[in-house]
Amino acid sequence: MDVNKTNQAARPDSTADEQIEQSLYARQEKIYPREVHGLFARLRALGVLSLLGIFYGVPWLRWGGHQAILFDLPARKFHIFGLTLWPQDFIYLAFLLIIAGLTLFFVTALAGRIWCGYACPQTVWTEAFLWIERKVEGDRMKQRKLDAQPWNARKIRVKATKHALWILFSLWTGFTFVGYFTPIIELGQRLIVVNLGPWETFWIIFYGFATYGNAGWMREQVCKYMCPYARFQSAMFDRDTLIISYDQARGEPRGSRKRSADHHGLGLGDCIDCTMCVQVCPTGIDIRDGLQYECIACSACIDACDDVMDKMGYDRGLVRYTTETAMHGGKRHIIRPRIIVYALFLLTIMSIFAWSIAHRVVLELNVIRDRNSLYRETSDGLIENVYTLKVLNKDDAEHSYSLGVSGIPGLALKSDLKEIRVEPGGVLEVPVRLHADESELQSRSSQVVFTLVANDDQTLSVTENARFIGP
Amino acid sequence: MSGEEKEIPKLQKCIAVLWPSFLTAGAATGLFFSAFDPYDLFPFGEDTGLSRLGIYTIGFFLFWALTAVSGIGTLYFAITNCLRYNTSRRQD
Repeated sequence: MDVNKTNQAARPDSTADEQIEQSLYARQEKIYPREVHGLFARLRALGVLSLLGIFYGVPWLRWGGHQAILFDLPARKFHIFGLTLWPQDFIYLAFLLIIAGLTLFFVTALAGRIWCGYACPQTVWTEAFLWIERKVEGDRMKQRKLDAQPWNARKIRVKATKHALWILFSLWTGFTFVGYFTPIIELGQRLIVVNLGPWETFWIIFYGFATYGNAGWMREQVCKYMCPYARFQSAMFDRDTLIISYDQARGEPRGSRKRSADHHGLGLGDCIDCTMCVQVCPTGIDIRDGLQYECIACSACIDACDDVMDKMGYDRGLVRYTTETAMHGGKRHIIRPRIIVYALFLLTIMSIFAWSIAHRVVLELNVIRDRNSLYRETSDGLIENVYTLKVLNKDDAEHSYSLGVSGIPGLALKSDLKEIRVEPGGVLEVPVRLHADESELQSRSSQVVFTLVANDDQTLSVTENARFIGP
Repeated sequence: MSGEEKEIPKLQKCIAVLWPSFLTAGAATGLFFSAFDPYDLFPFGEDTGLSRLGIYTIGFFLFWALTAVSGIGTLYFAITNCLRYNTSRRQD
């Protein structure tokens, strides 16, 4: 596997390596990927359209009177349909990130870089930008001609149109992005009357600029130079991972021939060396050189080659989805230890996540003992301990709660606060005093249990342990 | 010494420093502000006149600056050590 090319390029003491280094760090030649039609192109278009649809559509969905998915940063709460998460629930987001990461590992081990070719935002937005470019500038040949010709009125007009469309699309992307973090309908209303806040404006432009730069200008260079996944994916690969590969045994020796010629008689393989697979490649590589880390597995070369094979009357699949094992005539193994291990990890983490979300109590109680004094004797001869309780209401509705305490016979709870009422997302500090008879204390330090129950919902309750110190 | 340093274009170096630090700054911002409410960062109630979104933004760029400085350090040591290593190997 040739995924370590860049690492080798860092060693400048051999001629071959120097050449690699120079080609890597040379000024990039612009790649004009040829438009491609076929099964995988349709699949990719489907993937791109549905993912873009989800991205641009989801912020407009409503759920129970608020935006369905809203990571409301200004208000410090996340709405995910019926679920409201507070900063204290950060652990769930960490869980989600771990699940996303493990899913990527699992999918990569099973099906290779399918993420890169069909679902990565870099691919998705590059496809959209390429589509706009084709609509404005025409196909690959026309784009090349336009770039080569000197500046004239038409060239300026065409280029200006393309960039204007790109920038509009980027700004809309930036607007949608900010709409995930601040209510999008109000954001839209304020946009119409040109009354956006400075920070919102900044982020719309910043994200828009990033989109324009990444999808319009950087494109495959992001995958080649900036993507960490491209560098470590080989660690998840094995001989049974789905890859896109050129069938060397069948294709070589390559060469042009007449359609009617008996190429086997001429000593030629099935590859007619038409370079269509190179022309359609968005990263500008030649798949016939073997597996390369630049390959984003978009399968454009499969479509292009199948098309040529059909025209020549040869079998399809000279470039195809296959595995290293299958390519060398071995049996395919889908279930392998690596797959089982990833799947088990994923299932475990997902089950824990689902269980903890389902059993999440939207109430939190913290008990902090007064650190200044261990205990105090009251005028009635009772032992007093002082605590500060912190009540956090993680529900969407306001609740009032009843506080109880147990653990020592005859334990009395005193508080100056009449009612424990907490607004949604609010934290209330409740100073309380506990009184106990010295004769009831078994030891210097006894355990007491605070119980907090919502008055309108008995299932909404939490308990918290604390120590009661006596003489 | 031909200076391999010169063979790495400025843009490559910029990306190598700014991009990973951008990612870590994003993670750091998320972690930091999930633990601390921007309004609680000023315990004596100074009125900064900034919204939460504003403080998040400034926080993010401060983190980015910090992580980028560490990235510059890494790049500097990687290049200079690599140069010294290659020079000593050539002299052998």
